Amino acid sequence: MYALEVKNLTKTFDGLTAVDNASFNVPEGSIFGLIGRNGAGKTTTIRMMMGIYVPDNGEVILRGTKVGQEFKNRVGYLPEERGLYKKMKVMETLLYFAELKGKKGKEIEKKAEEYLEKFDLADRKQSKIEDLSKGNQQKVQFIATILHDPEFIILDEPFSGLDPINTNLLVNIISEKKQQGKVIILSTHLMDFAERLCDHIAMIDHGKIILNGQLDEIKQRFGKRNINLIYEGDISFIHQLPFIEKITDFGNSTGIKVTEDSKIQELLKLLIENNVTIKKFDANDITLHEIFIELAGQEENNGGLHHV
Amino acid sequence: MFNYRTLAVMKRELREKLFSKTFIFMTLLIPLLMFLMLGFQTFVMTYEGDENTTLVIVSESEQITEKMKEEFKDRPFVKNGYYKIDFKTMNENEFGLFLNSVRQDLLDEKLTGVVYIPESALQNKNVEYFSKNPNNNVVFKKIEGIINSALVDLYFANKLISTKDIEYLSKSIDFNSFRISRELGVEKEGYGNLVVSFVLTFLLYFSLIFLGTMMMRSVVAEKTNRIVEVLLSSVNPLELMVGKILGTGITGLAQMAIWLSPLILVISTNWFTLPEDFIFSIKLPYILYFLFNFFVGLITFLGLFAMVGAIFDNDQDAQSAIWPVMMLIMIPFFVAISLPSNPTSPIAKIVSLVPFGSLMVMPARMSITEVPAIEIIFASIINLITMFGVFWLAAKIYRVGILKTGKKPKWNEVIQWLKYSG
Repeated sequence: MYALEVKNLTKTFDGLTAVDNASFNVPEGSIFGLIGRNGAGKTTTIRMMMGIYVPDNGEVILRGTKVGQEFKNRVGYLPEERGLYKKMKVMETLLYFAELKGKKGKEIEKKAEEYLEKFDLADRKQSKIEDLSKGNQQKVQFIATILHDPEFIILDEPFSGLDPINTNLLVNIISEKKQQGKVIILSTHLMDFAERLCDHIAMIDHGKIILNGQLDEIKQRFGKRNINLIYEGDISFIHQLPFIEKITDFGNSTGIKVTEDSKIQELLKLLIENNVTIKKFDANDITLHEIFIELAGQEENNGGLHHV
Repeated sequence: MFNYRTLAVMKRELREKLFSKTFIFMTLLIPLLMFLMLGFQTFVMTYEGDENTTLVIVSESEQITEKMKEEFKDRPFVKNGYYKIDFKTMNENEFGLFLNSVRQDLLDEKLTGVVYIPESALQNKNVEYFSKNPNNNVVFKKIEGIINSALVDLYFANKLISTKDIEYLSKSIDFNSFRISRELGVEKEGYGNLVVSFVLTFLLYFSLIFLGTMMMRSVVAEKTNRIVEVLLSSVNPLELMVGKILGTGITGLAQMAIWLSPLILVISTNWFTLPEDFIFSIKLPYILYFLFNFFVGLITFLGLFAMVGAIFDNDQDAQSAIWPVMMLIMIPFFVAISLPSNPTSPIAKIVSLVPFGSLMVMPARMSITEVPAIEIIFASIINLITMFGVFWLAAKIYRVGILKTGKKPKWNEVIQWLKYSG
């Protein structure tokens, strides 16, 4: 059962096709990752899903019917470019955004207090937004996104500009929401996060969906002949080995692709013989990063694709 | 188009504007400023600056001198000491010497002027006036009538003619103005209507520009703050625009009602007595029409300001593109304030019946002259049509514009936006 079906979405701006015939499905109860480098068409796709942009072609189906205001009421959206009214107070802001979703009254106010408590902002509820630090403003915006208890939570690059503590806080909330059965759609260019959080993904590049489906299956499909290695020592000799197809250095780990399945054991043997200390040798494992590079090419240096 | 979301946007706008310091400040400051302006104008108009006038009235005969003394001595401006007048009797030669002796005083303005009334003035009323500023109207106006009536008195003295006749002869005509209206009766007219017309036109002008600019800034701010995208995940652009415009519109209406409250009180109660010169003949229905017209105009212009705001993503660009809208406010404003000098001019009539112009000129016309009901109805219909037309246009531009940031759009791009569907 799919919560959302995106069918053939296309959007052109001034002759430039930002999203080109994009189709994917978002299953119920999943954390869905829309991944791709900056400018790939993620935000445009999300805006069309939200009804902010009218697609030139295609449609979005919410449990069998075309999305409309109904969907807007049930969604919490955190855009990539955050924005709040600077002169408004924290509590006022939260209540206003909830009211736009049709939720008001004591109940919501209580819930807002709870969230502020949780995010360590309880003492700032009468402060003006402009008096808060940037991190705290982001927290307020995030609370505003989820305060009305939406069934769908759409987060566009939610981790950009967050410090590690707030990133953790956000990751926890996302997991919590998933357990409550909410559908979470997050767009990111950070493959690491997508890999840790998502159970379904759609990969978008130059406006086209180049891959989509369940993350486990995808990794299995692409993971054959792949090894994820963590080691100490010198492995430069393997560059000369004839059965090595590709080596990708991730800093703390290394991805190695061999030409045939059967060569994996041979590689392990050679590593040990060459006095490399092996901390982790994970056969048939591939990172999302590697998959992305395999599919979208080696443009990560100018595309802003990097790992954390 | 109007639902709880629009209402929420509207309420937020109201809260933000109605309780802002700027709003409260402006609401109080503007009437104060206007009273100061009016007070200053009245002061300039009534102040003649002729205190400390010193005159010497020289007559050729004792008879004339005595008569002049008698005529001048009870005049208020002599009694209160503003004018100091010396009376002398001299013949022509003596007067020549005298004039030479006071030449320096005249040049130094220690002496304002010297009047010479020869005996022949009793035949031809030719009187001479010597001064550094011989064309000073204020002084002339004060003494001219008095000298005239003194000469007339002397001329007819001992002739068989009654004092009543002499009084009539020496009196000049006095214009009293009355306004003729369709209603029965005539009313004596003071400056009242002109003042009210000026005040209302000014308030209208100021309010449209003040609230319009506020609206434009707020639209631009929502774009630059990127709030608009969050808002659009809940509301559609039309709901957002309508909510904002109504919120600001109601703020404006409240402000105008506050500004007009003294006027309403003067009309509907007898708590105040105005000086006769300031009595005006404006009635309550006119005030109601004015408020209705103001609200229609405000909504129209807020639509235009919101539209321009939506096209740009910074205040400077928006400011420099707003001038055509400003012209639509300023040209009618100038027509309206020049109305008192010629209320029935055909230009005023035409401007009061065309879109945008009508919003300001029609109320001004109505406060000064009688306007046929059919023209008022026509103007109202024109204004309503304009309002809906502007709304339609603004909604189309706004919808596309608020999501455009970055490059400053070209005008032909903006025209393209009108064709976007959905």
